[in-house]
Parts: sequence; structure tokens; C-alpha cells
Amino acid sequence: LNGYPLNPLCRCIRLTLPAANLQDNRDDLNRLTLALKKETKCTDINISLPIIRNLGETLRAAQFKVTVLVSEVGGKAEIIAVEPGHSQQPLYGIAVDIGTTTVVAYLLDLEKGRVVETAGTHNRQARFGDDVISRIVYAVDEPDGLKTVYQSIIDTINTLITDLLIKQKQIKEADIRVMMAAGNTTMAHLFLGISPKFIRLEPYIPTANFFPVVKAQALGLRVNPDALVFSYPSVASYVGGDIVSGTLFTGMGNEDAPISLLIDIGTNGEMVLGSGDWLVTCSCSAGPAFEGSGITFGMRAMYGAIERVEIDSQTYEASYSTINNGKPIGICGSGLIDCLAKLRRTGIIDRAGKFQTSLPTERIRIGDTGPEYVLVWQEETDIDRDIVISEADVKNLLRAKGAVFAGIRTLLNVVGFELESIENIYVAGGFGNYLNIPDAIAIGLLPDIPIEKYKYVGNTSAKGACMALLSQEAWLEANSLAGKMTYIELSVGNLFMDEFVSSLFIPHTDLTLFPNISL
Amino acid sequence: MALTGLDIFKQLPKTNCKDCGSPTCLAFAMAMANGKASLDMCPHATEAAKETLGAATAPPVRTVKVGVGEQEVVMGDETVLFRHDKTFYHPTALAIQISDTLSGAELDAKIEKINGLVMDRVGQKIAIDMVAVTNCSGNAATFKAAVEAVAAKANFALLLVANLEGLEAAVPAVAAKKPLLHAATAENWEKVVALAKANNCPVVVKGDGLDDTAALVEKVAAQYKELVIDFGNKQQAKTLAELINARRLAIKKKFRPFGYPLLACTVATDSKEEIVEAATYVAKYASIVCLKVDEKAQLLPLMAWRMNIYTDPQKPMAVESSKVYEIGNVGPDSPVYVCTNFALTYFAVEGEVAASKIPGYIVAVDTDGASVLTAWAAGKFVAEPIAEFIKNIGIMDKVNHNSIVIPGYVAIISGKLKEKSGLDVIVGPQEAAGIPAFAKARYPHLVK
Repeated sequence: LNGYPLNPLCRCIRLTLPAANLQDNRDDLNRLTLALKKETKCTDINISLPIIRNLGETLRAAQFKVTVLVSEVGGKAEIIAVEPGHSQQPLYGIAVDIGTTTVVAYLLDLEKGRVVETAGTHNRQARFGDDVISRIVYAVDEPDGLKTVYQSIIDTINTLITDLLIKQKQIKEADIRVMMAAGNTTMAHLFLGISPKFIRLEPYIPTANFFPVVKAQALGLRVNPDALVFSYPSVASYVGGDIVSGTLFTGMGNEDAPISLLIDIGTNGEMVLGSGDWLVTCSCSAGPAFEGSGITFGMRAMYGAIERVEIDSQTYEASYSTINNGKPIGICGSGLIDCLAKLRRTGIIDRAGKFQTSLPTERIRIGDTGPEYVLVWQEETDIDRDIVISEADVKNLLRAKGAVFAGIRTLLNVVGFELESIENIYVAGGFGNYLNIPDAIAIGLLPDIPIEKYKYVGNTSAKGACMALLSQEAWLEANSLAGKMTYIELSVGNLFMDEFVSSLFIPHTDLTLFPNISL
Repeated sequence: MALTGLDIFKQLPKTNCKDCGSPTCLAFAMAMANGKASLDMCPHATEAAKETLGAATAPPVRTVKVGVGEQEVVMGDETVLFRHDKTFYHPTALAIQISDTLSGAELDAKIEKINGLVMDRVGQKIAIDMVAVTNCSGNAATFKAAVEAVAAKANFALLLVANLEGLEAAVPAVAAKKPLLHAATAENWEKVVALAKANNCPVVVKGDGLDDTAALVEKVAAQYKELVIDFGNKQQAKTLAELINARRLAIKKKFRPFGYPLLACTVATDSKEEIVEAATYVAKYASIVCLKVDEKAQLLPLMAWRMNIYTDPQKPMAVESSKVYEIGNVGPDSPVYVCTNFALTYFAVEGEVAASKIPGYIVAVDTDGASVLTAWAAGKFVAEPIAEFIKNIGIMDKVNHNSIVIPGYVAIISGKLKEKSGLDVIVGPQEAAGIPAFAKARYPHLVK
């Protein structure tokens, strides 16, 4: 739990209330809440009408012995359920990371404080578009669009819940008493059925950054109908709960934390720079090139994807390795970064990404969209076509890496720091453990600072969601982080655009920023 | 040295309560560092913070307003020495002189001429801003009569240039129009400032060079802060140096006596030289330039220059959207390519259209300088605005066909665009690099 105490957002409290008699003639609700106040140290206790309707019977069913399920956060408690007697009922929660592409759910045992099962699947909203913008367009422009898109994310999560419960047969739907969802701002809006219309329109305002806690039945989630559903707070239209969650997980906002940088290398390219004192964040819209999208032979990191490339500097011949040694069918993100670095190192492309078509090798040729380099000849592949990387692909990758680096430079610039002042760089995103940091530095994607400062942190969104579910302190900290993260709007002013244009070279226009890269 | 956002942030309460209108304390601190927010907007600032930050974060140049209603002129509130560092905010006010020796029909004719100094440029109205009535006659009663006559008819804010007697005679009669008084000098400042204060009008403090003026402003500012500074221009080069030094000291050193709008009067006698002199002051920090010329032909370039200098440079790199670009030797058969006005997008398309060796038209839809996908994401490069743009720019009148080529990445909008525009929408390649191959395949008859 990264230093946070195990103190779940929801727990069972077994109480023995003083029996009512002619001397102690307080009402039942008062009897219950007073005892709870003592037990939880909460001053503000909330209870819903349906529970009160049955309260008289419930308290008397086992002579004023009751088990109360409460969720407490920051001095406020919400009574989820009151049951007669002292029962040992199981208490589970689910943390969900709602990614634009992939949704991952963790089933947690709240009492033991551990993950008992995980499941992941594609976000079913994909049929309305691969990216958040297409889905906003669909939700806003199509008749019943919002309802349809909303329902498909609920269906996705319900499928995952079913999966989790099939794997853990002893656990029932009714045992899941609390949920925590983390996702980008658009996903959070769609998950709660809030219109995302104004997220994409200037000046890019989300409807809400902090979301109310709702009951599972209100959303149609297949868990205990009374379960509370928490949503991670967002910062701005394109910096959402997934990033707040990542910031919590890395601890970069902890008191005394040194200056650190968290980068999510993905389509939205969110990043956070800061320390215990301050945090600035932006979204550099890198695009999906590093996820393989928009690249002729780009693909996800899966069986048959080229992940490493070597090119001989004399003969320009290529060798490569693929995931699980499958016959090559395409190139994944880490392979693309490697490929770009090697094309440059061997002089096949110049610093602006232009192909040197005069080099004596048949691997360089003119294709439909301009010059290209043949990485794998047809007969070695499993797709019966030459696998190539074209000049347009290279330009696409340059724009993606340029956006990321320009985002970093812009954040540093607004707070007046140099690259050298960064102590830790946390790299998050879908690269798994494949991203080669030296390659990423060589092409100018990541800053040229000592490699020991880099830490790969994986899916921080899901990890942060679990932390918040298991620790009230972590959840409070997440809310405080979201409140103090300062969003930098990159479309205002020329700063980002200047940095972006300077970053469209390998590794950069200003070579002094990359002192350790030899070209 | 000016404080950075982080320096200021350290002094703030760090509650992130948003009561100041900024989403976080750091965002507020950054706005303060840029001179765009002041500490009193934060209801939770501690006394200690007010003490340390108060002076350091006050806007470097005070905002002073002359005139009322539509004639109001806002001056000052500048934060940078070079427009590319941020922007210049309040365009230099141009004041045209009228002598009080004119009267009757002569005066009316002059006022009418000055009222006519309004022109159109790129769809915007540009005009002078003030009329400077000068007490050339030396007689207070004559001055009062002239001022009243001008105030009754002129369409612009007033600058009253006279000695103490002249001002005392004229100001009370036109105080409701909030004229700017010229000038409080070392000899008369106590009485002139008292007059300005009593009538709630801004006043020009006129000294002799930097040191003398600073000393005088310091004395005046202790009593009244609605000030404009005049260094008593006698030589152009010296005035230029004074304007630059004063603005530097105000912004870089927070030197309070120069933290006011600056006024410069032209000294050149030849009207062409006068415009050149005025242009220098417009570029170099003058908030008001007082001129003698009143010919449209001479003022137009000065106004255009002012408009350009005070344009916000913090706009994305964009090419002009108002024209149709012709690549090569175009004819009525030539294809029409549609892209956005983002410079990098436009030049990528232009280069490839040229490389296709098939002449073509390019229209760069105004997307505020956003690229194709960025503009699509923000709802600026979608069917309706594109259809509207193509209609307005009149490109389809130049060709004998009915088709436009849109970028492959926004293929999704083609149906709706066809519906809205009534044109045949052809989805081109995703990458501009594909244009040569696309064009050769699509327009074989145009290949030479």
C-alpha cells in the first residue's frame, strides 16, 4: 500500500446497543448513531430511508445486537446496511481501471487487504470509436448516444465482475460492498452517464472533476445493490482520475518528495511534474502511434510483434526479435522506437526523418506513400507481405515523440526548472516491460538524464484505485492531489508549439539537450 | 528581479479553494507572476503574505482610463518589453491636436475632419482615440470656449493642454467627460493635481528627462495615482531612450514612479517625418502619442502599424485563411484540396500538391491554427464550418467541377459534409505524402 495503513473505505462494525427501556427511551436511530459515533470517531453519520424503515425490527431481531456496514471517509460515515446479530459476513470490493481501450478489474478482500483475483477485457465502447473524441461525438450526436455508450461500459464492467466471480466461486455478488473506478475524464463522465459534450469544445470544460458516491443499483452494476461506488476525481478535460491515481501510487506528491515526473506514454500523453509542494500537469496528445495505431505495420504488443530491431551499419540488413518468437506480423510500440533509433544510427534516415534513398540497398525503396524501408521480407512473415516502415510512419512517430518531449519541456518551463532538477521519472503506460529507455532517449522521446532515475511503474491507474479502496488515508490523499494539481493548457500561447516544432528532429533541434547521444 | 510563480506560490495559503477564480493556488500564483491577477483576489491570504507579495506582485504599469462610455481609452497594464514574450495589451492612443486659436466655422471644420479619422482595415474599424485641445492663445477664456465647443462635438476622449489658468477655467465645464489634463509640472503640480483630484480626472505629470520626472512623479503619487507620464520631449532620440528606460525600470525593477502609462508628443515638423516619429513611439511603449497631422492618408499606415504591433502573437502558427492558394498553373479542371490553416498542416499539403505535378487549389479552413485531427477533435473541422467556409471563400466559382478532396483522417465527416455543402466530397489519402499517388490515379488526364 506504499506506506498507507490498511483502513478500507468500508468495514463491518459489530455493535451491542443498550436495550431500550422506560429509563433509556431514546429512539432507535439515535441509539444506533450514538454508538457508531463512539466506534468510528465520525461526527457526521448518514443513513438512508429504506434502512430506517426496517430499523426497529432489525435492532430487536437479536436483542439490539447488530452488524453495521459503514463507509467512513474524513469524519463522515455512510451506513450501507444494518443487519441483526453479530455476523461474520465476507466483505469484498472491486477496483476498476476504465481505460479507453482496456478495462481491468481487481477483486479485493477488504479485511485481509489483498487482491484475490484480477480480470481484464476490451472496453466495449470501442465500437463507437477507438479514441475518446469519437465516443464523445457518438454520445452527443447520435440519438440515445449517451445512453448507449454508458450502457456499454456498464456491460463491460459487469462482464468482468462475472468473470471474477466465476474464478472465485465462494464469493457472491452480494458480498461486494464497495467499488472504486479510475479512468480518464471522458471515461468517468460516460461511466456515470454524464454528458461529455463540452469536454471537446473550447475552452474544454468537463461537467465535473469531483464525482458523488453513488449506489451500485443506480448504475446497474451487478454487485450488492447497496454497494457504494466511488469515482476517482479528475483535474481537467484531458487529465483524469487515472493520472491522479498514478500520482498517488508513485508517491510523488508526498510531503518531502523530490521533483519527479510521471509520464503516461499513451494516446493522451498525460504527464505530471512536481514534488510534495506543487504539481503541474498537462496532456500532450501524443496520439496512438506508440500503440501501433496509424503506423502501416503497427500493432499491439502481442504474439508475432517485432519488439527489437538491429540494422547493420555496413550492409543495411535487418535482424529482429518478436514476442514469443512468433513469425513476424507487425511492429509493436517498443519495436517502433527501436526501429527509429536504428534507422537514424545507420544513417538510413536523417535527423528530420527523411529517407536517404541513394543508399546502396534494395531494402530502401519508393512505396505508395513515399520512401520506405523493408524490415522483413515477405517470405519470413506470417502475413505474406513485406513488413516496412515508411517515411510517413517515421513522421508520425516523430510527431508523437515530439509531443511528449515538448510537453515535458513546457511543464518545466512554466515552473522555471531545468531537466537536471528532475530526480525521478516514472514511466507508465501500455509498454509492459518492453520499453527500452536508452532507445527512447536516443530518439528524443525521453530526456537525456541518468538512466537510474527512470522507473517503469506499469498500470498505475489500477494500482492507485486498489490503494484508495484499501485505505481511507490514500483516498483522502487522492482527493487532495486532484485539488492541487495545476492543469497547464497547452493550446494557450506559443510555448508548447515552439517546443513541439523543435522536437520534430532526432533527437532534437537543440543537441545540447541530449549531451550523451552520439549521432 | 520579478518573482516567479513558484516564489509567489510559497506565500499562498495552499488551500486550493478556488475562491480566487483559479483552479489551484499554483495557477493563481502563475497568473500573479504574469501580472494578470492580484493578491486581493485571494480572500485567505495572510497578512505576512500581503506584506511580502503586495508590492512585488502589483501590476508593473498602472491602468489609467480617460474619457467615458464609448470614448473611453484604457492605457497601461503592460507586462512585457517585447510583444513575443506575451503580448502588448492596450494599443497606443493617438491624439490629434486642435489649437484654441481656431474658432467658429474654422473650429467646426477641424472637429469634423478629426471625427472623420475612422477607417476600415481587415474588417475592423480603426480610428484615432483622442482630441488634444491646446491653449496656443494663452488666454484662459478662449481656451475654455474652445474646449467646450470641442467637447460638444468631438467623438473622441479629450486631452486638455494648457497652463494652470487655462485648465482651471476649462476643466470643471467638461469634467463629466473625464478628460486627461496636461500637465502637472514642477512649478504648478500642487494646484493642477488638486484640480484633477477635485474633478476626478487623470493628469499628465510632465518633467524634464528621467531623473527630474521620477522625482516629480514621486511627489505627485503620494497624493494622486491617476497619472500619465511625459518626459518633456525635445529630441526624438532622447525621448525614445526615456520611453525604453522608463518601461524597463517599471517592469524589470518594479520602479514605482515609472509604473504609469507614458505620453509622447511628436516634435518633427514635416508631417511625413512626424508619422515615422510617431511609429517609433507606438512600437516603444508610448500609451499616448500626441500628433499634429490629421490627414487620413498619413494616419492610415500609423494605425495599421499600431494594429500589427498590438496583435496578440500568442496565436498558433497559422497561414492566412482568407485566400485560396493556387499551386502551380491552375485551371478550371484543377482539384480542390481542403485542409486546416495550421501552418505545419498547410505546408505539408502544399509541398505534396506541388510534388504531384498536378496544379491544384488549396483552401485552408480557419481552425484557429489547429491541425486536422486536433481541429476535428475540437469540433472546428467538421461538416458545418467547412461547408460554410467553402461557400464563403467562393472557390467553387473558379472551377468547372463540383468536387473537393478532404484529408483521409476525417473520412468520417464526408457524408455529412456532402449533405451540408451539396458538393462531391472525395476522401483523399490520410497522409499528405500520399497526395502525389492519389492525384496521379484520380486525375490522369491532368498529368502532363
